[in-house]
Amino acid sequence: MKLTRRGFFKIAGATGAAAATNRSAPAGASAPPDDPYGCLVDLTRCIGCRKCEEACNRVNGLPPPEEPFEDPTVLNRLRRPDEKAFTVVNRYFPGQLDASNQLVPTFVKIQCMHCQEPACASACIVGALTKKENGTVHYDVTKCIGCRYCMVACPFEIPAYEYHDPITPRVMKCTFCFERISKEGGLPGCAEICPTEAITFGRRQTLLKVAKDRIRDNPARYIDRIYGEKEVGGTSWMYISAVPFEKLGFIDVPNEPTPKLAETIQHTLFSYLWSPIVLYGLLGGIMWTSHKNRAEDEDEEGDRR
Amino acid sequence: MIRAFSPGAPVRILVALMVLVWAAPALAAETPDTDELTLNPEWRAPDQETARERAKEVVPFIEAVVDECQLCRQQRLRDVGLGVKDITHSYFLLDSPIIKQREDYYGPVRFMHTKHAAAIQDCAVCHHARPADKAAKETVRCSACHQESFRGDHPDRLGLKAAYHQQCIDCHRNEAKGPVDCVGCHPKNVPDHKELVKLPADPEPWDVTAECLRCHPGAGEDMLLTAHWLWKGHSAYTLDHQKKVMHGKGTTAINNF
Repeated sequence: MKLTRRGFFKIAGATGAAAATNRSAPAGASAPPDDPYGCLVDLTRCIGCRKCEEACNRVNGLPPPEEPFEDPTVLNRLRRPDEKAFTVVNRYFPGQLDASNQLVPTFVKIQCMHCQEPACASACIVGALTKKENGTVHYDVTKCIGCRYCMVACPFEIPAYEYHDPITPRVMKCTFCFERISKEGGLPGCAEICPTEAITFGRRQTLLKVAKDRIRDNPARYIDRIYGEKEVGGTSWMYISAVPFEKLGFIDVPNEPTPKLAETIQHTLFSYLWSPIVLYGLLGGIMWTSHKNRAEDEDEEGDRR
Repeated sequence: MIRAFSPGAPVRILVALMVLVWAAPALAAETPDTDELTLNPEWRAPDQETARERAKEVVPFIEAVVDECQLCRQQRLRDVGLGVKDITHSYFLLDSPIIKQREDYYGPVRFMHTKHAAAIQDCAVCHHARPADKAAKETVRCSACHQESFRGDHPDRLGLKAAYHQQCIDCHRNEAKGPVDCVGCHPKNVPDHKELVKLPADPEPWDVTAECLRCHPGAGEDMLLTAHWLWKGHSAYTLDHQKKVMHGKGTTAINNF
C-alpha cells in the first residue's frame, strides 16, 4: 500500500483525536484512589499511652527503642518519626486549664499522612513509592535507588533514611500496615491497639462523615476543622481536635496537592512529546534551511569559478 | 501507785500467760479446721469463678438504641425505680472474647459493679442508653452495644475496649478517684523480687541502689533527669510559671541519701 502525503495526515489526525478524547485519567501515576482506607485521629480522645508506638514497633519488626515504651519522660521532648519509629506521640500544652488549675495536655500522634496525591510518589524517579487503591502510599525497596527525593518532597517531613546502613539502606516511613489492611478485617497495628479508639479506621469517605458528625454533635468539644480533609489535596490520615492545629505542631500546608505545579509543567511540556517534536522540528528546519543556503552559496561560488 | 510496783503484778501476768499457753491448743481445736480450705490447691473463689464464666459470654449485638438526652434517661430510670438494689451481679471480670480475639496482652480487669453503683447512685452514667427494642431490659451490659471496633454498619459506635477505657478513665479523672494509669487496672505481672535481689547481710543504702541498678540500669539515669533530682525553678507544667521552687537537690540542698 502506498501512503500518500494526504493519507498520512488523515491517519495522524485521527490517531491524535482518539488519543485526546481517550484522556480520562491524568497523565502520570497521581490519580487518587476513589475509595481509599483512612484513619481518623481524634486528639480529644488520645491519652498519650504510646501503645500505638509499641504496636507499630512490634508489627513492623523495628529495633527496640532506646527508652522503653512505658517511660512517660519521653514525652518531655518533641520527637519526629525516624528510621526506627514510624510513629511517635508528642505532648503539647496548648493552654487549657483543668478544674485544679493544671494545664491540660493534648497528645498528637505523627506518622505518614498517606496523601491522596503524594508528593513523594511524584518525586520518586523510579516508581518505588506509589499510591495504592486501598489508600496506602507504598514503598517498594527493590525499586528504590536511594536518591531521597521523597524526603525532600514530602510536605510533612516524614520519610527517614537508614543512614547507618551503607550496604542496604531503606527509606523508612509508616506503611499503613499495607499487608495487614489488605486482608479482610485487617487493621493497622496502631488502630487495633489504641485503648480509647482515638484512631478510627475505615473508608475515608465514611470517616469524613464520622468526623463531621462528631464536630456537629459536640461543637464545644471540637474546632470546626478536619486536618487532612483538604490539606495537600486530602490525606488518608485525618485529625480532629479541640484546639487549633497550629498550636499542636501541625504543619501549615496549602490545599493544592503538592505535586500539582510540577506535574502540570511537566505534563504540559511533554504530553504527546510535542515539545521535543517542536524543538527538533525547529532545529531540523534551521538545519535544512542553512544547509540549503550553504548549498546555494557553494553552487554560486562554483559557478563563479 | 505503790501497789503497781509491788511484786504481785509480774506474778499475776506470768500466771495469765501460763494459762494462755495451756489453753491455746484447746481453743484452736474448737475452731473449725481452716487448713482444709487454704491448703486445697483445687479451691477457687466461687464469685471469681462465676465472674470468669460470665466474662466469656457474648450477647447479641444491639443495633438501635433510644435517642434521648442524659437528663431524660436519668429521670426515667428514677421513675422506673431502678437502683443499687436491683443489681443482679455485683462483681465482674472484664475479659471479653470480643477484645481477646484481636489481642490478649493483659489479664482480666476486676470491676466492682455494686461498689461503683453505690458510690455514683446514678445508673445512667454508665448505662447511658437503652435498646430501642421495647421488650429488652432497661439496662444492658456494655458488650451488648459495644463489640468489635470500626464496624462497617456502625462506624462511630465505640468498640468494647474503647468503651471501657473512655468510660473508666473519663470518670476516674473527673471524679479524681480510682486509677487512671494503665497498671492501676491492669495489674502488671511483676516477678517476685525475693529471689532476684541479692544483697549482703547488712546492706548499706548504696548497696541497695547498686543492686537495683544491676537489672534496671536506665532507672538511675532517668532519675537524674526528673524533678526529684533537678528540683529547681518554675514548673514547666504550670501556666505563667506558677509554683516556683528555688530550693532542692538541683541547687541548694545536699543529697543526704
